[in-house]
Amino acid sequence: MNIKFGLKKATIVLTAALLSVNMSAKAGAVYDYIKANNELMIATDANWAPFSYIDDDGVMQGFDVEVGREIAKRMGVEARFITPDWDVITAGNWNMRWDVSVGSMTPTASRSEVLNFPAVYYYTPAAFAVHTDSPITTLAGLNGKNVCTTAASTWEMYLQGNLDMLDAPAFTYDVTPGTITSLKDGSMCADDTRLGAGVRNDGFIDSVPMIQGLIEAGYPVRFLGDPAFHEPLSLATDLGNDDPELDAELARIIAEMQSDYSLSLLSIQHFKNADGSSEDYTVAY
Amino acid sequence: MMDTKTNIPNNTEMTPVISLKGVSKWYGDFQALSNIDLEIRLKEKIVICGPSGSGKSTLIRCLNRLEAHQEGTIHVSGIELHERMKDIDVVRQDIGMVFQSFNLFPHLTVLENCMAGPNWVRGVDKSKAKERAIAMLEQVKIPEQADKYPEQLSGGQQQRVAIARSLCMQPKVMLFDEPTSALDPEMVAEVLDTMIELAKSGMTMICVTHEMGFARQVADRIVFMADGEIVEQNSPEEFFNNPQHERTKVFLDQILK
Amino acid sequence: MFVDTVIEDKALHKPAFLIGLSLTVLAIFFALNFTNSLFGEFLRPVIGDPTESGFFGRFAVSLVLTIIFVLNLFAISFFKLKVQVAIVWLELFLLFLAFAYSFDLKMSFIQSRIPLMITRGLFTTIYISAISIVLATVIAIIGAIAKLSNNGFAYAISSFYTSLFRGLPLLLQLFLIYKGLPQLGFMVDAVPAAITALSLCYGAYMTEIFRAGIQSIPKGQWEASRALGFKFNLILRKIILPQAVPIIIPPTGNQFIAMLKDSSLASVLGVWELMYLAKTLGARDFRHMEMLLTAAMIYWALTIVLEVIQARIEEKYKQKS
Repeated sequence: MNIKFGLKKATIVLTAALLSVNMSAKAGAVYDYIKANNELMIATDANWAPFSYIDDDGVMQGFDVEVGREIAKRMGVEARFITPDWDVITAGNWNMRWDVSVGSMTPTASRSEVLNFPAVYYYTPAAFAVHTDSPITTLAGLNGKNVCTTAASTWEMYLQGNLDMLDAPAFTYDVTPGTITSLKDGSMCADDTRLGAGVRNDGFIDSVPMIQGLIEAGYPVRFLGDPAFHEPLSLATDLGNDDPELDAELARIIAEMQSDYSLSLLSIQHFKNADGSSEDYTVAY
Repeated sequence: MMDTKTNIPNNTEMTPVISLKGVSKWYGDFQALSNIDLEIRLKEKIVICGPSGSGKSTLIRCLNRLEAHQEGTIHVSGIELHERMKDIDVVRQDIGMVFQSFNLFPHLTVLENCMAGPNWVRGVDKSKAKERAIAMLEQVKIPEQADKYPEQLSGGQQQRVAIARSLCMQPKVMLFDEPTSALDPEMVAEVLDTMIELAKSGMTMICVTHEMGFARQVADRIVFMADGEIVEQNSPEEFFNNPQHERTKVFLDQILK
Repeated sequence: MFVDTVIEDKALHKPAFLIGLSLTVLAIFFALNFTNSLFGEFLRPVIGDPTESGFFGRFAVSLVLTIIFVLNLFAISFFKLKVQVAIVWLELFLLFLAFAYSFDLKMSFIQSRIPLMITRGLFTTIYISAISIVLATVIAIIGAIAKLSNNGFAYAISSFYTSLFRGLPLLLQLFLIYKGLPQLGFMVDAVPAAITALSLCYGAYMTEIFRAGIQSIPKGQWEASRALGFKFNLILRKIILPQAVPIIIPPTGNQFIAMLKDSSLASVLGVWELMYLAKTLGARDFRHMEMLLTAAMIYWALTIVLEVIQARIEEKYKQKS
């Protein structure tokens, strides 16, 4: 029975150790904790090139990732990235698993029930795209059709007709789809669309930089009509573990990065058009 | 070579080592044993016989409490067997049992089967247990099979190993529950011979069996059961030549045909 | 299988069967219409431009495919069993490779990412699976004994546990643990949440397997042990469990293999194991099939390793008796 007891004990200890890894809860002021640990935990979904993705060596890359790194640097701490799914991030109740989301999130009324939005750091247009062989030529052509989008995204809200963005330019609902197909991320929509017009969907909606990237990667898609709406994209912090000090610090850093053009530089580095020109999305329109 | 772990009191030859008084047992609504009174003294050889369903197996299995009786009392070496008794395992160590289907431990060798009881239960150290095991295997005349696994042996050999395994615990009483009923006829003899030798060495034995030749040769007393009751018990000569009850006569007619 | 001593004539050697098979296969190939694939290209000399060959082209392609298929089966039927198995495995594997090849994959793409997939992805997958397997086994032993005991508490807890954790999908259990526990005050990270969910879920299935294995040991073993004066713990440890082990190995091996694959659910929580990396490493260049197929081969290889180990262990127990 000796070996068995030894094994039993070991596994009990191991399980307890695993479970207790974060039982020492980060209590109270998140910002103090970040400073004390010298670490800013940043959440971002790694399935969104060119905003955030993983390179061959397992290092996070992308516009959002670079902004996150810069924020940590200006805060005087190290940056550490966590990659939960997008809908886990937008659902709030982070339970202090991470401190901030640098993930191009659009502030909306429903999201602000669980999250704070301390600083908008850039703006992108959202647009519709269809297969290059699609017979549809205007936005109205998508009415009543099957349109693909990302679950828990502002684009999904647009299709559903309840996009309640905060502080965004006015827009109109130009497309009322018959069916909305909500998938995990934009690349899944693109993969469905490339199969052919009307095969799995009649088109999809995503951010302009994303669609640009797809076209560059050789996907047989093209833009449809003008951008549907422009959305401000913001950092987000947990409403559950509210820390005004952290929010103020994040706002200060973003303002700093805007005034010294470092934010614009990052945008130009990461967002390139097909004709070689770059976009500075950080300027408000 | 006696172990000192048992705390069963020693018996004289006069007080019964096993006694049953008014024992009854039911399986649900069916009554398997009816008001059994029986006494067995040390060194006695008892053969229990009767038609199937008569309760003979049930009776013998109540003696080491593999079955539980509902009424009456059973005493073994002065200790009463009942539901809440402590140390049933200690009492069982002093009673050996041989089963119809042998029930050897298939994952252990013959030698290990015999060493298991003394080594694991009584704490006898391995070398002593091995000595005793080999001695018992020699007594049942198959020492050369010590390192084989049970499934490699014939039925008769397996049953003899089962007997040796029980003997290794140096029991006061040996119970035999139809030990040859599952054997081919040519192997019955070797097992019966072993049992006869054992009887001669003075072991207290209670055997449920159909082997009347064996009974005639070895038994001090034959107990005939039918429908859960003891119908009659007598010495072998009286039993075979002078059966008292009609039921006994019917049974003897059938079995001695 | 316990084969009979009389050999039937092989179906593939009977003319009626061959004709029936050929017609069925012809109909299937025709319906699926392979004209626009490689085969159509091969038959260009006969049918002209595949896209404009109409009924004739479609029929010709289907006919050629049918002939190849049936002749292939017919030829294989002449070999011995072992050779047949080897040939069919080889052909199926080549078909799978053809399937993979048809995606126009870039090997360089895979090459640059494979180190990360193995050092991070495979390593994480194996370590999550290994810990879960150990924990699930411990849970299963305790659960099985509890379910077989006379103790009311033990039986009730064990049966409730197996019912609950076999009653919910594993993914749901994962979410309940990851999102629910913190709200009760127990902070649990992604990897421990995945290990907990896997262990509890598979522990429940394995409890049933162990219980059935223990119950399948004949009553005579218990009786003989008791008659010798063995106590309960001793009987279980020395007599019953050793006999139960060879019985529970095949179904338990299955569970382990399944757990290896279900560790992929941790990807939903963002853990960098094999499945997650398979999905995300393609994100930058919008190429997904390469990494998905690579992960597929890695999972398959891992599973085969486990299957071989299981087969060896089963052999060892067969030899022992």
